[in-house]
Amino acid sequence: MRWRLAVAGWAMAAVGVSPAMFALQAGTLPLPAPAQKSYVLYVAEDHDVHAGKRTVLELHFRVADGYHVNSHTPKSVLLIPTDVVLQPAAGISEEAAEYPSGKSYSFSFDPANKLSVYTGDFVVKVPVVASAGAHTISGKLHYQACDHAACYPPKDLPVQIIFTAR
Amino acid sequence: MIVGIALMVWAGVHNLRARRLAMQKAQENHVELIPGSAGQPGKVDESDAGDEGEEPSLRGKAAPPFSLTTLDGKKVSLADYKGKAVLVNFWATWCGPCRVEMPWFQEFQKEYADQGLVILGLVDDVDAGNAAIAKVAEKAGVTYPILLTDGKVQKAYGGVDVLPMSFYVGRNGVIVEETAGLGPKDQIEAHIKAALASSASGAPSGGQ
Repeated sequence: MRWRLAVAGWAMAAVGVSPAMFALQAGTLPLPAPAQKSYVLYVAEDHDVHAGKRTVLELHFRVADGYHVNSHTPKSVLLIPTDVVLQPAAGISEEAAEYPSGKSYSFSFDPANKLSVYTGDFVVKVPVVASAGAHTISGKLHYQACDHAACYPPKDLPVQIIFTAR
Repeated sequence: MIVGIALMVWAGVHNLRARRLAMQKAQENHVELIPGSAGQPGKVDESDAGDEGEEPSLRGKAAPPFSLTTLDGKKVSLADYKGKAVLVNFWATWCGPCRVEMPWFQEFQKEYADQGLVILGLVDDVDAGNAAIAKVAEKAGVTYPILLTDGKVQKAYGGVDVLPMSFYVGRNGVIVEETAGLGPKDQIEAHIKAALASSASGAPSGGQ
């Protein structure tokens, strides 16, 4: 059984991933056209699963070099957590997403203030049980990025998961 | 010496144009912005630092007019401060670098108020709610006006896709300097002094 994960192509294009690379990873989804700045991209991967059995779906994301995003559990209520929000899909039951722990980070101008962030690659795990057949799960990654001296407004990275459970 | 050089490079990179170019280059994977570790300034690729000196997009132009409401419902317009030097600072409750410089602004407000400095804090994330916004401002010790943005003012000032973002408006209503990202405190003060030193004559139409 294979789960084919795919993500909107503009997100990859925005951070310099070649269309050829995207085509290898994203399958044959119709992709939204407009370009938009993105500081996180989705790295699509295939997963072998069995229909009707609990499978932990791994969603791989990559934060662009030089940037960080808050973890799912930032250390201040003022900070915007990274969240995966998936829409309910027929034939699929989802458990709560599992997020990695954040890395400790401090701005150079505020070293005493320890933040919990994701940099580089991070994986969000989503346990699901899917019935046999073709499925699509649509959703988004909500995040807010900063670099070493500035922050950028919150963004939503569209995520679309397409698979056939057999 | 390495720390000193890194500080100099970091100090130069917050120029708006430089930052936008840096973002563009980063997205093209041509440059890496490397976050500094705790206690050390971030390091910037030499090619990025070389962008310093580019003209910011609104510098030398009339400050776009705006009329916004404060947290307590008072109407405030940029035009209210004709003849003053105005620091227009965009910030957000979720922006760490913004919260670092806000106490600095408060200090400068007190120090230079007699010379005609006005600081206006324009909060970008109004959806955070007045209570949360007020709490952040209070914690930063801010007493200068906090204005609720309306979306239009961000567009008028170039989109404000980076925070913090500040525009130093001279007495004649012309933007003397603009910065994106957190810069050194002494550089902020230098921009304030430049705005205060500007002549009130020859005020352009549309702004203050």
